[in-house]
Amino acid sequence: MRTRLSALIALTAVGSLVLAGCTSGGDASDASAPRSGGTLTYATGDAEPTCLDPHVGGNYPQALVSTQYLESLVSKDSDGEIVPWLATSWEESSDGLSWTFDLRDDVAFSDGTPFDAAAVAANVAHLQDPETLSSTGYLALGKVTGVEAVDEHTARFDLSAPDSALLESLTQPWVAMESPTALERSQEENCESPVGTGPFVVESWTKQDRVVLTRNDDHTSPPADAAHDGPAYLDEIVWRFIPDSAARYAALQAGQVDVIDNVQPDTLVAAGKDDALAEIDAPRPGAANRIELNSGKAPFDDERVREAFITGVDVTDGIDSLFFGTAERSYSPLSSVEPLAYSDPSLFEVDVDAANALLDDAGWTERDSDGFRTKGGERLTLEFPVSTNQSIPAEQSLFEQIQAGARDLGFDVVLSPLDVSSWYGALAANDYDLVSAPYTKVGPDVLRILYDTAGITPAPSGYFANLAQLSDPALDDLLKRASETSDADERADLYEQAQTIVLESRTVLPLYDQQNHYLVGPAVTGVRALPPVSAVTLYDAYTVD
Amino acid sequence: MTRTPSTEADGAVDGPTEATVPEPRRRGVVPAPLRWVTGRLVGAVVVLWAVATLIFFAIRLVPGDPAEAILGGPGSQASAEALALVREQYGLDDPLVVQYLAQLGRLVVGDLGTSYSLRTDVSGLLLEQLPGTVLLAVLSLVVAWALALGTAWWATLGGRTAAAVSSSLEIVASAVPHFWLAGVLVLVLSTQLGWLPPVSTGTPVGIVLPVVTLAIPVAGFLGQVTRDSLLDAAAAPFALTARARGESRSGLFRRHLLRHAALPGLALSGWAFGSLLSGAVVVESIFARPGLGRTLLQAVTLRDIPLVTGVALASALAYVVVVALGDLAERAVDPRERAA
Repeated sequence: MRTRLSALIALTAVGSLVLAGCTSGGDASDASAPRSGGTLTYATGDAEPTCLDPHVGGNYPQALVSTQYLESLVSKDSDGEIVPWLATSWEESSDGLSWTFDLRDDVAFSDGTPFDAAAVAANVAHLQDPETLSSTGYLALGKVTGVEAVDEHTARFDLSAPDSALLESLTQPWVAMESPTALERSQEENCESPVGTGPFVVESWTKQDRVVLTRNDDHTSPPADAAHDGPAYLDEIVWRFIPDSAARYAALQAGQVDVIDNVQPDTLVAAGKDDALAEIDAPRPGAANRIELNSGKAPFDDERVREAFITGVDVTDGIDSLFFGTAERSYSPLSSVEPLAYSDPSLFEVDVDAANALLDDAGWTERDSDGFRTKGGERLTLEFPVSTNQSIPAEQSLFEQIQAGARDLGFDVVLSPLDVSSWYGALAANDYDLVSAPYTKVGPDVLRILYDTAGITPAPSGYFANLAQLSDPALDDLLKRASETSDADERADLYEQAQTIVLESRTVLPLYDQQNHYLVGPAVTGVRALPPVSAVTLYDAYTVD
Repeated sequence: MTRTPSTEADGAVDGPTEATVPEPRRRGVVPAPLRWVTGRLVGAVVVLWAVATLIFFAIRLVPGDPAEAILGGPGSQASAEALALVREQYGLDDPLVVQYLAQLGRLVVGDLGTSYSLRTDVSGLLLEQLPGTVLLAVLSLVVAWALALGTAWWATLGGRTAAAVSSSLEIVASAVPHFWLAGVLVLVLSTQLGWLPPVSTGTPVGIVLPVVTLAIPVAGFLGQVTRDSLLDAAAAPFALTARARGESRSGLFRRHLLRHAALPGLALSGWAFGSLLSGAVVVESIFARPGLGRTLLQAVTLRDIPLVTGVALASALAYVVVVALGDLAERAVDPRERAA
């Protein structure tokens, strides 16, 4: 409990610092008071979205760009509190089976369609329609059976079971509100130019190059924690796709672009020496980046072998040196931006002798000519498929260090760098003992997705989220109760117990938060990360001399 | 080279020299240019079919699920319903042979299909992306030729030191990888000197760095072959004769040596163009230039079979056209080819 509390305090402090850092340009003097006009060029290192409507599919690149033109019912502030956005207030029924949202009555989509309860219903229906091919938004609304328009500006969500994560789910950009009129167009058209209530509108999309967004002069509905009201300051945003990290940084230095994302550790260190550049460190919510140990098959079906791996290999020094101190070691299955994240560093103290004893104990006593442990003639081999799309170079280097450390214990870690489709293929075929799979979701309910027994059953594609293959009825029960309680304290307590079980199962080796660093150049200020998924918002941004 | 021994007229009398000259009667039936064009067309169709087939099977040899990729790829999880629907929509459940034949059938009528990932018409996407890449490749080829001939000229006329320096330059140039060269050029010309924008701007100045990056390695290769044949030609008796007639050194280079020296390089231009197209994958990504190379990279990552096929076919087509143009250029430069 103590750990959690101090983490919470640290988080709040960091949050307000980040916020202060980002808004200081506005407070500094009247001379630099926000002014309208100008173009901001944003360079993203994320993949180009395949569809600008985040209802379709639903990944982070879509969340990043759609945060500029779509808005959700609720948001989250930097303290982790749910705050009003398109909904002004909300209430859960006593049985937890319905939630009633009061909606703003003065908002219209940028195509003129009024935002009302019928629009909310149409959006939920769109997300739940299999034809939409939604995955992230679809999962977020898993318990929602339908939305009823009680009156023009009151919407009632009906649920199949109480859902303590509903508000958190609704903060996510993947369930943002779009114009029902626009949704009636073909999917192809809606992917090209989705229509929302946000501060900018999609002007054009040149594939492989840029999306141009222009200001929505009629915008009236910023989230409750925004720095100003009314339309955005910027006339235009040019959203460019620059996959090469060094090229992004060179473009920022040359003033060709104003904001870059996916900043790599070495670049962060270089940028730290440049006073003209401001950094925003905004870890993504949901799960921390972690290595999962496949407890569903040998050798990790033996807890002693798992414990030996987790306590026998030092990862902290590797993180410090390879990330140049830009990433802090995590001891929780959840991201540090999750208020309910629970850490237990004591479980991860390195003790090589004890680890070797555990392996001897588990029967891995022989060594082959290469120095690897064997049992019954079989080598202690660990398959570690790595997604080169998802693991940044520093992380891949870290895995190589872990490989070297594990070698001293007698593990033969086989690292296989794979493209994302092959990587999914390897997981679906159960061809892995170790895996690192980032997962972004708002709220601790991500634990249910990642560690509930149900998550072991593969989808028709072969994909499953419970990669640790952790199956514990007590954990399942805790996660179910936590997801259904409407008592905040009870919820916190249940999630702490659940995280304790996850950490003590020895199937998870937490590394650090899912890294998400932005750099802002000297020509703009007022850029901040919107707390729900830490996607940048340019609503408060303006140009400076 | 085909020789039909049906006519008795040109018997053994003329001996082996006759072997390379097509027979008069045959030429009367099918005019040489037409035969050349027909041959090229048949060759092109075969190349395109082979490319389509290779790509179709190669992309399926790699494990992974295109349905998952269609639904957003990393970071998103498809529901069972959505996956089933995608499989049905895109025919991913059909046997491989059925999918292959269906695709060939569509290709024959010129339908490149719909991109899995971008959900739009592949031919439209290609038309959008092709001009940028072709412009990049053609400019790079021109610059590479200019660089190659420049150094070859210098090597021939500038004495022993020049020859040694240029030959080392050529070897280094032909060996540097694009990504490294791009990084160095950006660091020096953009970050340090501030002369050129590090990423593409859409204005003419933005194409300079990508073109130079692509041109230098190709210039190295072209320079090596050109210089070798240039030196051979310079040592040939006709060069001495020309000099004896009072031709200046540079006149000798321009009017006599260049023709000889350019031939092997021209023959290599088709290959060079192909290497430029593949280099475009790296260079377009680094300099954030829209184009076929970047499209291909994304399409492969996402297992976007129609788009990969489309890009490969477009590249193959461009390659076939350029090789044909190279042949024509060779004929223009070398009178011996025309006499044939």
